[in-house]
Order: sequence, then C-alpha cells, then structure tokens
Amino acid sequence: MDGRHSLELALPGASIGAVAGAMAGGLTLFAGLPTGVAALSALALAVPLAVFGGLYGVLLGHGVFRPGTFGPAGLYWMAAFPLSRLLQESVAGVGMADGVLGFLAYQAMVALGFAIGFVWMHERLMPHWLLRRAGANPRAEALLGLYVQYAQALRARKGAKR
Amino acid sequence: MDTSNTPPATAAPPVEDQRVWKAGRLEPMPIRKLPDAPPSVHILGPTVFLVALGVGMGESYMWPRLVLLFGPEIRWLFLIGVTLQAVVMLEMARYAMATGESIFSGAARVFKPLMWFFFVVAIAVYIWPGHLSAGAAAFEEITGIPWVVTAVAGLILVGVVFSLAKVIYNVLENVLSLLIGALVLGTAVVAAMVGSWGDVATTISGMFAIGYLPAEAMSAAWFPVIVGACAFAGPSGMQQMWYTLHLRDSGAGMGVHMPKVRGLRHAGEQEAMPSRGFMFDTEDPAEMAKWKGWRRWVTFDALLLFWGITMLVTISFTVIAQAAVRQNPDVRSVIQGDDREVALTAMADAVSSAGSSVLGTVFLGFIALIGLNATLGLFDSFSRGQADMTYNFVPGAKKLRMSHLYAGFLWGVIIFGILILLFGPADGPSGILDTLAFLSTFAMGAYCVTLLLVNNRMLPKPIRPKWWTNVIIGFGAVFYLGMLFYSLFAFGVVVG
Repeated sequence: MDGRHSLELALPGASIGAVAGAMAGGLTLFAGLPTGVAALSALALAVPLAVFGGLYGVLLGHGVFRPGTFGPAGLYWMAAFPLSRLLQESVAGVGMADGVLGFLAYQAMVALGFAIGFVWMHERLMPHWLLRRAGANPRAEALLGLYVQYAQALRARKGAKR
Repeated sequence: MDTSNTPPATAAPPVEDQRVWKAGRLEPMPIRKLPDAPPSVHILGPTVFLVALGVGMGESYMWPRLVLLFGPEIRWLFLIGVTLQAVVMLEMARYAMATGESIFSGAARVFKPLMWFFFVVAIAVYIWPGHLSAGAAAFEEITGIPWVVTAVAGLILVGVVFSLAKVIYNVLENVLSLLIGALVLGTAVVAAMVGSWGDVATTISGMFAIGYLPAEAMSAAWFPVIVGACAFAGPSGMQQMWYTLHLRDSGAGMGVHMPKVRGLRHAGEQEAMPSRGFMFDTEDPAEMAKWKGWRRWVTFDALLLFWGITMLVTISFTVIAQAAVRQNPDVRSVIQGDDREVALTAMADAVSSAGSSVLGTVFLGFIALIGLNATLGLFDSFSRGQADMTYNFVPGAKKLRMSHLYAGFLWGVIIFGILILLFGPADGPSGILDTLAFLSTFAMGAYCVTLLLVNNRMLPKPIRPKWWTNVIIGFGAVFYLGMLFYSLFAFGVVVG
C-alpha cells in the first residue's frame, strides 16, 4: 500500500519528463522524418526522463529532496539527464562527435538548465496533484503539509486582500 | 508576524502606527509592518515576468548572430549586459519592496518631470506591435498562416484574457510560468541533441575575452548593432521598471499593503488604491531581519532564475546557431544581411538539414513562443505602468478605478497595434522593431540614473544601497548612454 502511495507522488515528475522527451520526437515527426525513427527517438528519451522525473517525486515524498530547492535537484539531473541521453543515443542516435566522455560532460552541463525547467514546472504542478490525492494518500498529505507551510505566509497575505 | 488580519491600509485604523517616512515632496509614507519573507530556497516570485520578457530577441537571435559574425569572443559584452541587469533587478526590487510603490512613483518623488519622461517614452516605444511580428513571422514559417492574421488574433486574445481575468496577476503568472517552463525544458533538450562540448567550450570561454572588439565591429555598419544587442541582453527598455509593479502586485515586501489590479469584468470588486506606499521601521532590528530575508529571496530569484535562465537560453541558441553554420556555411553570409526573417529562416533550415532532425521547426517554434511571451508580458506591463502613473499623477484620474485605466491602456494599445498591422507602414516586422531601439536604450541609461537618485535619496539610511552597488549602477548608466552616444557621434547611426 505504501508503495502505491509513493508511486502516486511520481506522476507530476514523470509527466514532465515524458513531455520534455516527447517534445523532441514529436517535433521531429512534424518536420517530416519517418514516423518510426521519430517515434523511436522520442520514446528513447521520454521513457528514461519520465522514470527519473517520477523518481524525483518519490524521493521528494521520502524527504530526500525539499520542495523547490534547486541545488540537490540540479545534482540529481546532472547524473540522470546524461544517462537518459546516453540511452537515447545508443538506441536511436547518430553517433557522438566528442566521444563518450565529452558527450557526457556536455550533457551534464545542459542538465543544469534542464533541472531549472524541471524544478520550475514541478513546483507548479505538484501542489495541485497533492491537493487531489491528500485525502487518500498519507504521503501526499505529509508532503502537502510541507508545501502549505512554505506557502502559508504568501497565501495568508493574498487572502487578506480579498 | 501575521499580517492576515491587517485591515486594508486605507481604512487607517486607530491602532496603527502614526509615524510616517517623508520622501521627497509627495505624500509621506505611513510606517507599517513588513511581512515575513518567504523561504529563499523556494522557487516562487515575480521574476517569472522578467524572465518571460527578458528572454527574447536578444537571446534567440541578436547574440547568436553576433557570435556567428565575430566569433564567440564577442560574448564578453553579453556577460556584462546580463550581469548588469541582474544588479539593476536587485536595485529595482529594493525600492519596490521597501515601499510598495513602483519605481515610477519613486521617480516622481525625486522630480516629477522624470516620471513624465518615462510615461512618454513608454508610449513612444511600446505602442508599436514590432515585438509581436517576429514571433508571428516564425509561426508563419511553420504553419503557413499569414503573420498579420496571427498577430491580430494574438492581440485580441491578449485583450480578452486580461479583461476577463479576476485578478490579472494570477492569470498572467500561471500562463507565463508554463510557457517559460516549456521553453527552458525544450531549449535544454534541443541543445542537448544538437550541440557538443566544443561549442559550449568556445561559447563560455568567449564570455571572458573581455575587451575583445574586432576591427569590423567598430564600423558604422556593425557598432550600432552591437549597441542594440547589449541593450537587448536580458530585459530591455522599460521592462525592469515594470518589474516593480509586479513585485507590488504579488505582495512582495511592503507591496502586501497594496490592493491588486483586477480584470475589467471584476473591476467593481477592487479596493481603492492608496496614492502612496508604506515604509517599515528601519530602526527596529526585528524588521531589519525580515528585510534581510526579503533581500535574500530576491537575490536568489535574480541569480538563479533570471541570470541562470537568460544564460542558459542564450548559450543554447548560440550552440544551435554554431551547429547551423557547421552544417551549412552559407548561413553565415545570409545572417550578415540585414533581414532578420531571412536570417532566422536560414538558421532554421540549416538546423533542420543537420540530419539530427527537425530542429529547424523546433527552432522556429521557440521563436514563436518567445514572441507570444513577449506579447503577453509587454502589453500587460505597459498598461499596468501607464495606469499606475495616470492614476497617481493625473488630476482627476482617481475618480476612475485602476482596473478601468488598465483596461483603457490595454485596449488602446491593442487597437492601435491592429490598425498599424493592417494599414500602417507595413514594411515587414523588422521595420517596426528598429525604431524601438534608440529610445529603449536611452531609457535604460535613464533608469540607471533614476535608480541612483531614488534609492539613495528616498529610502531611509539603513536600507540604502552599498557603495559598490551604486558604482555598478553608475557604470550601467555610462555603459548604455556612452555606447549610444558614441554610436551616434562616431558613426551618425543610432542603434541597429
């Protein structure tokens, strides 16, 4: 039961990862590449990014990450993003110009940018999802409590102006 | 401290502090409590507007173009421009968070004509729909829908959305947040797929080639272009000044004591807007501790979100452009030409032919997205700023509600924009955008001077800027105005 509760927390992160990965592939298709190639390329990036994105949500629920903190999330993606890209390149890639090490170093750098976007989106989506699940899922409720605590000062002030 | 029970400031309840802070000749600011700062680690904040507005043509087109022409070493100027803007952002926030007033009110406290200058410049610069047309032109490349149709539809959409919104700030924040998030994620993914370590290494090392200016850059043809690009590194024109309005409306610092601007349909629910801001007790250590918290919060926003995202997007676009030239060396000569649409298309084509897919469409998609962001953000900010100045400083304007003034300016600029697009000097999008450049750069120099005056004269001593901050802002004034006038006198051209 606890496993399911944890998994539920993965949904927002997994969706963001999947969409980000699919973006590349979806647009590939739009630009006229063969459907099969585009789909494979999209899938090969979307799946690992979704897995890592979901894992981020689960770890957030277990208190490994704190809501909205960038540092740890940046480090996390510096490892996860290059791995995802490596997987994509090995399944549906065109070869790495700089060799594997140069490739990984470059991807790790881009990963920091990806992490900013990811945390940004995650912070926007997660609270809505938690609000929905808090009733049936104690883990979601606990995490929501944390968000509420962070947001309380702001909310209270917004409410006062109504 | 719990501010949730604080009655609306205008009701002047008897228990409130009777002390005031006198700033300039305008109405003194009553002393009120500063609210607690949000934890600085938490990502929230009105920087999203600045990012949405700031990540525009400068990042996606002007700088990649300069890098292709002059090599990555030219980017040291970009580093200076964006870093300067990060400091300007912190200083704009200082006044807005300490008083809940916009920087325009601060300028009026120093010298009223200064504020009217910005009022006029805003109209002169921002009623032209130029910023919109670049994005619409990119959209035309993708879909074939004529850009005028997209641009007009976009304008009407913006007007309707902001008129129906209950509290404008919330709608804008949500929409822009999602767009920016998509842009950042997408840019990262695309850069990851087309770029290589070599591109990034040259792009980044170029940022530290301080002082590098090749001979051809110092020519009548190119120096003005470089000046324009420096002004477009990060938020350009008056965007930083509008940022103070967003801080106020999001309740940052003393902005908490100000009511929010509502959409036209909900205008009746809006509380009366006080004609002056507030000040907190800077002699009270507890209040100063909260102030430090607010400064930390905005610094975090400035560094990570603003500086980080602007850098990321520019580096990514530069990497994409470099990849484009590698695939198709002809791109370089096309880009040298003056026609931005041709250059953007060439970059997109080269990126597409890179075999590594599609990225051409993605590239144009981002240009369209950036155009949409700019439209949403600019129109809202323009109307907000003009409404703010009109409400506070035009005699008799207080009979109207702020929301009505906002709607008036919004629809005014939309209708004017549509007329220009349909019947105006329609010599293509670039023709409109170029007029912007001189005044917009001039305004940036002028707001640096304004900031120095406002923050050093209108704020209590304990919260005035440090000397080194003043030096940086002073350098900003010299940087923008110096380059602008050097270009004007040495080459007889304003800004390209």
